[in-house]
Amino acid sequence: MTNGILIFLMAFLFLFLGYLGVPVAFAIIASVLVVTAFTPVSLASMMTQLFNGIDVEALLAVPFFLLVGELMTSSQVTTRMITLSQALIGHVRGGLAQVVTLFSMFFAGVSGSSAADVAVLSRSIGPDMKREGYDAGFIAALIASAATMANLIPPSIMAVVYGATGNVSIGGLFLAGVVPGLLVGFGLMIYSHFFGPVGVRKQRASFAQLSSAVKGASLPLVIPAIIMGGILGGFFTPTEAGVVAVIYIVAICIPAVNRGYFRRLPHDMAMTGLLYSIPLITIAAASAFGWMLAYLRGPTVVSGWIASAAHNDPMLIMLLLVGLFIIVGDFIDAIPAIIIFMPIILDLTTNAAINPVHMGVVIILTLAFGLITPPYGICLLMASKFTGVTFWRAMLASFPIYVVFFVAIAFTIYFPSVVLWLPKYFLPQSVGCFPNPNGSGYICPP
Amino acid sequence: MILCGVAITGFTVTVTCDIVTRMLSRPWLWLQEVTMTFFIYGVFIGAAAATRRNDHLYLAAIAESLRGRKRLALELFARLVVLGVALSFVWFGSLNTLDGGFKSLRMPSMTPLASLYVAIPFCGVLVALFTLEQIVNGWKNGFEDRA
Repeated sequence: MTNGILIFLMAFLFLFLGYLGVPVAFAIIASVLVVTAFTPVSLASMMTQLFNGIDVEALLAVPFFLLVGELMTSSQVTTRMITLSQALIGHVRGGLAQVVTLFSMFFAGVSGSSAADVAVLSRSIGPDMKREGYDAGFIAALIASAATMANLIPPSIMAVVYGATGNVSIGGLFLAGVVPGLLVGFGLMIYSHFFGPVGVRKQRASFAQLSSAVKGASLPLVIPAIIMGGILGGFFTPTEAGVVAVIYIVAICIPAVNRGYFRRLPHDMAMTGLLYSIPLITIAAASAFGWMLAYLRGPTVVSGWIASAAHNDPMLIMLLLVGLFIIVGDFIDAIPAIIIFMPIILDLTTNAAINPVHMGVVIILTLAFGLITPPYGICLLMASKFTGVTFWRAMLASFPIYVVFFVAIAFTIYFPSVVLWLPKYFLPQSVGCFPNPNGSGYICPP
Repeated sequence: MILCGVAITGFTVTVTCDIVTRMLSRPWLWLQEVTMTFFIYGVFIGAAAATRRNDHLYLAAIAESLRGRKRLALELFARLVVLGVALSFVWFGSLNTLDGGFKSLRMPSMTPLASLYVAIPFCGVLVALFTLEQIVNGWKNGFEDRA
């Protein structure tokens, strides 16, 4: 069999088994093992590829950022952040819709998990929004869209996986994700203000209420400073920043906010232990898939097609990749997509001299958008399930919101200087700058 | 589930100790090795536990929209594929452990890499057992919806 047929067979088997109800990780592994049988590669050596996929120190950050989200949610520390969001913005038109977006921005800064964000919002603000007469489809669509920011605003699990597998600076990706994340956030606020339901107009919070809310939320809001401050100051790696955030929550936040929670801590540790294994076994499977794809020279062929179609124009290459990833993100989860397609991305990034951090943030933003697109929009699926509305209604309500993501993606592609400003300023070496031999500042590529 | 909790608690503690000992300028190099051991075993044991609880990532839940024999056939097919993969883990994972696992050593303890590779066949055994349990229970009482 030719390489092309084997690649087609592997992709077909994965999607066929996946859509018949085989778990994603097992569908990927089954397709890889079947195709390996037609090659000279030994099946036993594919087990090494599975292992190599997760034997990466940077991936240790994934469980810690999941644990931060789980602990914050379970101990109800997040309710203080919701109160602060309500005090800040609850009085404007579509108040609760604005609160959803603002809370997601805060929460994205402490947790890298969209799933945790959807769970918190659907259970806490979702019922209030229903009582105020918001359309259930709109609630699910807005919560799902706002939750995607967890993958953009640092710390982001997608950025950790992208950086670890693509050998790109995770700190640089974290910082480059801030501008697209805020663009999505402000875009959702503008959309809710002009096109969303009015909701019930409330009185502006008094200064006393606002200062009380700020005081209440101050402990959890230190977490982003710990994480980013630790990484940018060179004190911690992203993994260590994650564990320091966990210790801060367990030792300081929870005793101050909810002492009774400690009885649940062992359960939540066990639950997070289970939760982190799910994306990571998928990463292991996807890295074996990616290895086999590279062995069959798939990335060279596909990147050749894209490069020739785009005449090596970096912007056009990124647009074509966005198109590819919008389609891919509709059918498979973001994490296996990153790993499976990483060889293609790396090939194109190198050949077209695109900044790897810029390419990374464009891909992450596109895959974050994939979390709300059918048929496999996992955030939208979860939000519709939690808010008790059909996926179809939530999907219809989410269509107009796509415009926000299209604008954010276009801005991220066409204005790299704005997107890369933060990493260039705080972590110059992450975007290819090098120290000036004169000793003053850095010299950066254009 | 308990083992998952042990694994995550284990590597949380070792990463913490790693930071502390490094800050005290007395780094314990072996801590990173222990951390990765907890981490990798946690992934494979967690994957097996997630199989039992139907907690894995799924592309679609076609089977849940079906009833009767069609649903039974689809659910059984999915479990048989998982069982096949699990048995591959056991067989090829054992071959890999015995063949390549003793040729490379982990630093600084000089433990054979087999001590980590063996997590794959171990996971395979657990997944196979849990899948068989699901097949038997599903055959008798019908299959549960996914999480």
